[in-house]
Amino acid sequence: MIPLIETEFFKLRKRMMTWVVALILVGLVVLLYSVLWSASSRVEHFGEGRQFTGIDLRQALFLPGAVPYALQIVGTFGAILAIILAAGSIGSEYAWGTVRLMATVSSGRMKLILAKLTVVFALTAVGTLLAIAAALTYSLIIALYYGDASGSFLTATFFRDQSAAYGRTLLVLTPYMTLAFAVAVLGRSTLAGVGTGMGVAFAEPLIDALMRTAGSPWKNIPDYFLNTNRQIILLQNKVPEVLPRLGGGGGADSAVHSPLVAGLILVGYAVAFIAVALVLYRRRDIGSSQ
Amino acid sequence: MSTGREILRTEGLWKQYGAVTAVADMHLRVYEREVFSFLGPNGAGKSTTVGMILGLVRPTKGRVLVFDTDVATHPWPVLKRVGAVIETPAFYPYLSAYDNLKTLTIALQDVPKGRIEQMLELVGLQERGRDPYKTYSLGMKQRLGIASTLLRNPDLIILDEPTNGLDPAGTREIRELIPRLAREGHSVFLCSHLLHEVQAVSDRIAIVKQGRLVQEGTVEELLGRAEYLRLRADDTDALRRALGAIPWVTGVASMDGCLRVAAPTARAAELNGVLAAQGVLLSELAPWEMELESVFLELTGEETAQ
Repeated sequence: MIPLIETEFFKLRKRMMTWVVALILVGLVVLLYSVLWSASSRVEHFGEGRQFTGIDLRQALFLPGAVPYALQIVGTFGAILAIILAAGSIGSEYAWGTVRLMATVSSGRMKLILAKLTVVFALTAVGTLLAIAAALTYSLIIALYYGDASGSFLTATFFRDQSAAYGRTLLVLTPYMTLAFAVAVLGRSTLAGVGTGMGVAFAEPLIDALMRTAGSPWKNIPDYFLNTNRQIILLQNKVPEVLPRLGGGGGADSAVHSPLVAGLILVGYAVAFIAVALVLYRRRDIGSSQ
Repeated sequence: MSTGREILRTEGLWKQYGAVTAVADMHLRVYEREVFSFLGPNGAGKSTTVGMILGLVRPTKGRVLVFDTDVATHPWPVLKRVGAVIETPAFYPYLSAYDNLKTLTIALQDVPKGRIEQMLELVGLQERGRDPYKTYSLGMKQRLGIASTLLRNPDLIILDEPTNGLDPAGTREIRELIPRLAREGHSVFLCSHLLHEVQAVSDRIAIVKQGRLVQEGTVEELLGRAEYLRLRADDTDALRRALGAIPWVTGVASMDGCLRVAAPTARAAELNGVLAAQGVLLSELAPWEMELESVFLELTGEETAQ
């Protein structure tokens, strides 16, 4: 499978879309930090009990908070970019007709699909690191501007916590990525994958709110939604309280599952989506129009 | 006719799409170092058959053995030794010809170093080899398709319409390349619409219609399957009437200002005598040189060659 992973990596590395997605992610981090930095010097008190000040906000943007907040951004907005990357990696093959070409030079159809998923996951992991790097750089600039740069937070505990947060972020992205990939295989198109992935990402919080309002028997169904469990996991990333929370979903607030159960639910979804993609791609004919 | 080892065999191959039978009971044989042409009108099941040979399409019934290996159960040992372009070549539009071939070499692994440049030179793409594929003309895309097919130096080469989009010079190059490939030890499985090209390069030919094999044999066998004579006389009506009275003349058709008469060429002199006895004097009597196109049209019942 290694040659197929190398091939997929080569193709995605050469593809403009990959770099555009990475640029958007970094741009998003920079934009949010710029907005928050700007806001920190304009607002005096904010929050539900007006308990936070602009200075609190600014200090939260300093280095210790940079990593978890960057991960919060990736965990929320990065899902959309991961959806595009995943759906595009297989959907474009159908659009260009290269699905036949690759099928004739691959040592197995399942290996090809697994190689694609591996590379998409790896690039998502690299993209997440890029977002962290952008946040760290911006944080450093803010801290230096105010003469408050200090490396005292760089302890073993900090690295352990941030590594765990990084892993949690990749975990919450995986079901969205695999969903988009599986639907792109099913529909033999990028648009099908992106449309479904985005639809789920945007519609779930709305349906969640409706179902919880509707009461029994609906109210417990959203506990198993991707978004609910994503929020439960992302809450473990310990973002400074003063920073605005991104995303949302009623289920996350009521903490319906433990993080472990939420993680298992997300893993279950990812495994199911990968299985669908593998079975479909393996069993279906690759005819002249594909 | 090839006397080489059998490298491809289809055994009772069927492909059904719901109620539609795309391929029915297809038995094909391709031998080592031969150029085998697979002809048929559009929708005759050629691409589906090629898809089954490459393991891309699952047969409803029957099996394909390539190098004595069942493609359905062990595709990779087969695909490693096969190079194929099916219908229109398809490559990554944002990659250059060089990078497209590099993608394949990474996946295939055992392609020798320098092979990409060698292939680009062979198909005349060395100057545009670094330009994106999306900027290529149809002919250039076709050339890249051929380069990709030959990249791994395969034992079996499957070319589906290899001259599609090529200019006359390019078509001639491919026409010269195909027999050369066979001489160099490759077997070529060729699908083409250009029947005179096929006739010039093929060792054996199979013709399919509506998913069924209607004829298979060497070019000579196919062209010699019916004997015709070319007859011309001043009074064509009298000639037709006289021919109608001869029991061993099995058919008469007007073609190119003369009559094409289905009759044994060995009895040409006897025919001339019979007609002369009836007062019909011939101004031309010669064997009718059959062309593959005529055989194809006759077997497939097509108005125009596909």
